[in-house]
Amino acid sequence: MQPIKTLGRLKRINIEYYGNAHQARQNGKFIAYVNAFTPVELLYAMDVIPVYPENHAAIIGARKQAPEVCEAAEGMGYSGDLCSYARCDLGSIRTGVSPTWGLPKPDLLVISNSQCGTLTKWFEVLSRHYNAPMFLIDVPHSGDGERDIAAESYVRGNLERLIRVVEGITGKPLDPDRLTESIRLSKEASDLWARVLETGAARPAPMTVFDQFISMAPIVAQRGTQVPVDFYGELLVELEDRVANGVGACSDERYRLFWDNLPIWPELRRLSEFLDSRGAALVASVYTWAWSRLAVNEEDPLTDWTNQYLYTANLHLNRRVDEYVEIAKKFQLDGFLYHSNRSCKYVSQDIPEVRRLVSSRTGAPGVILEADHNDSRSYTIERLEDQIGEFLGMLGSGKTRAGAVGPAPS
Amino acid sequence: MISTDSWAEFTQSAESPLAPAAQWKQTTGGKVIGHLLPDVPPEIIYAAGALPVALKGAGIPITRAQQHIPGYSCSHAMGLLELGLLDRLGDLDGVVIPYTCDTTRNLFHIWSQRFPNLKNEFLRLPKSVDYDPARAYAAAEFKRLFLSLCAFTDAEPDEAHLNSVIDIYEGARAKLRGLYHQAFDHPAEQRAKYLYAAIQAFSVMPIESFTQTLDQTAWGDAPAADNWIPIYIKGKIMDPPALPELFGELKLKIARDDLVDGYRMIETPAVDGPDPFLRLADRFRNTTPYAGYHIEPRAAAERFLARVKESSAAGVVFLNPQFCEAAGFDTPDFKKTLDGAGIPSLVLETSSRGVSMSRLRLRLEAFREMLEDN
Ligand code: SF4
Ligand code: SF4
Repeated sequence: MQPIKTLGRLKRINIEYYGNAHQARQNGKFIAYVNAFTPVELLYAMDVIPVYPENHAAIIGARKQAPEVCEAAEGMGYSGDLCSYARCDLGSIRTGVSPTWGLPKPDLLVISNSQCGTLTKWFEVLSRHYNAPMFLIDVPHSGDGERDIAAESYVRGNLERLIRVVEGITGKPLDPDRLTESIRLSKEASDLWARVLETGAARPAPMTVFDQFISMAPIVAQRGTQVPVDFYGELLVELEDRVANGVGACSDERYRLFWDNLPIWPELRRLSEFLDSRGAALVASVYTWAWSRLAVNEEDPLTDWTNQYLYTANLHLNRRVDEYVEIAKKFQLDGFLYHSNRSCKYVSQDIPEVRRLVSSRTGAPGVILEADHNDSRSYTIERLEDQIGEFLGMLGSGKTRAGAVGPAPS
Repeated sequence: MISTDSWAEFTQSAESPLAPAAQWKQTTGGKVIGHLLPDVPPEIIYAAGALPVALKGAGIPITRAQQHIPGYSCSHAMGLLELGLLDRLGDLDGVVIPYTCDTTRNLFHIWSQRFPNLKNEFLRLPKSVDYDPARAYAAAEFKRLFLSLCAFTDAEPDEAHLNSVIDIYEGARAKLRGLYHQAFDHPAEQRAKYLYAAIQAFSVMPIESFTQTLDQTAWGDAPAADNWIPIYIKGKIMDPPALPELFGELKLKIARDDLVDGYRMIETPAVDGPDPFLRLADRFRNTTPYAGYHIEPRAAAERFLARVKESSAAGVVFLNPQFCEAAGFDTPDFKKTLDGAGIPSLVLETSSRGVSMSRLRLRLEAFREMLEDN
């Protein structure tokens, strides 16, 4: 595996981001805890730094600190069946164990239930703990994703109210010019991130999903600033160069796979090496793609956010399947690794149906791996490797390849 | 004492919840629409010409569902799927699943894949129940559901008719509330069992026959109510279903519960008004918020404490379904709030894999002793 040089910049970027968040008050800025489907461009334009407790928890997971902090949360009465991101966060607050010196205290918590309902409940706990106000962008789930005019006006009303709430906290009105600039930067970063991900369609893929997971942080946390624009611009140049020179991320790419759901953070390196040693490259994942679609247009951002939260971000089974089918074609996939994530019921519960539908439409088989994105106490890595090994063996034997999308592995 | 005969119909309905629907269907030829709890207004289904039947998955042993939904899902969702896969919901023509949590959101999709020939509806409830615009949105959503079901049954959408159906249901709710309070004031060993059977019957029987039976039903004389300890039950669903009986045996009387198949189903009257959808929206917003909904977080804990105090309960039993994120996040803070007020509480976790009644009994006995000493 030839390392991607630009990724070396990430450490500094992340340190600066958390450093700035901790320094917010000294710099006249405010802190909002947020989740994926919240309008961070709006917050940046209003001098509010968005902070993601989920990201913080992911770093804890990647550093293999989850068991220790999860146990602390469980000791506080939080069931071991709750999302391990939340348990890591609450346990980190209790123990002080944190790779980012903890998180700064929030002035506001903003949440959109277009993502999961878990976050709403988790943020309620944080809101009580910090005695900080909480704002829910309430996004009704429309079942099959059909248009819902009443919901559109309801969600838009939520966003208008959010602006008033933030203005109340910062004591300053929203400056439309700053919002326009933040949206412009967000669009630019999102486009670059999409192009970074699209390089995965090349054979061999210049970057795997493991590297995508690692390099997501700027598009998640700093969308709407210059930082991700510069970083992804540089990364794209390097990846295009690798494509031009036929440099693959996997030493000997024979199988092209899709990863569904969140990563298993504590096992990133081990799984990456395991797959590499068997000629398998993870070339696409919806989890990383999701962040390329969150930009809006300057003309009417509230309507764009409304539609995005209601129809794009909200998981609708049939749309999800359509998307996987499209990705299977574009990325010439041989198979799907579905992470049935005990912690993230929101993305995991319909995986058996997703697998059935995707396989019947693409012919590409999939294997379901039951694990957890952070809590290594709830799976054994050897068992996961055995399952993946068997799956690759099946792919290699051609037994499941009838009707598979893309050329057969050589 | 209780005249058990007068309650037999209710207990039978509780034991075989689909039986009244099967009979109704045979007699009328009408359609039967099942709905998952909570907050699907049965009035909408009934006024659309179909029979509403509340579906509960808790307590169903799981043999097939785990092939379609992972085992780390709550018993409510897994049990419903199991019933469908076992073909035990054959009399249903449709199902309404409400948006209460990520699990019901996913269940709707799984269900629709498994049972594509049914009329499947997802009720898109707002979560910010205290936020004023949630009223108009909820009303619009109830109207959407009504029109969609009328189209399915070929019924003429008639809002005046819906209004009168709401009144019929309100009459039954008021009577059930009366029985609930009487059972508390004059407890007897079997009363909680019959009371919850009656509430269950309300959610599965045709409303006219339910009301008729209810009119003929009353508590008999109760022995002097000595040594009963009032408790509050917080949670999702009465699971395992035999719990009310156990509470009665242990002389724990239910001062109040906020279960979706308990008092919460009958607690809030729909105030009069010309617009049936706004009536239902107001009732929905005024009902004790279920853990899946969102209200200002500090107020949520304080309002819970106020409800417990108002009920005069000496202790609280949390009845948390395993794998239910909504309930799981609330419990530690709510428990801490109770601790601060000197109110003891007990957390019980129920599971789709079943719970041992003898273990539950032991824990409740110990809790009772603690309350006695308190
Ligand atoms: S349940 Fe899933 S989406 Fe929700 S906080 Fe946990 S990991 Fe994130
Ligand atoms: S709210 Fe809890 S118990 Fe109810 S369906 Fe959702 S996960 Fe299950």
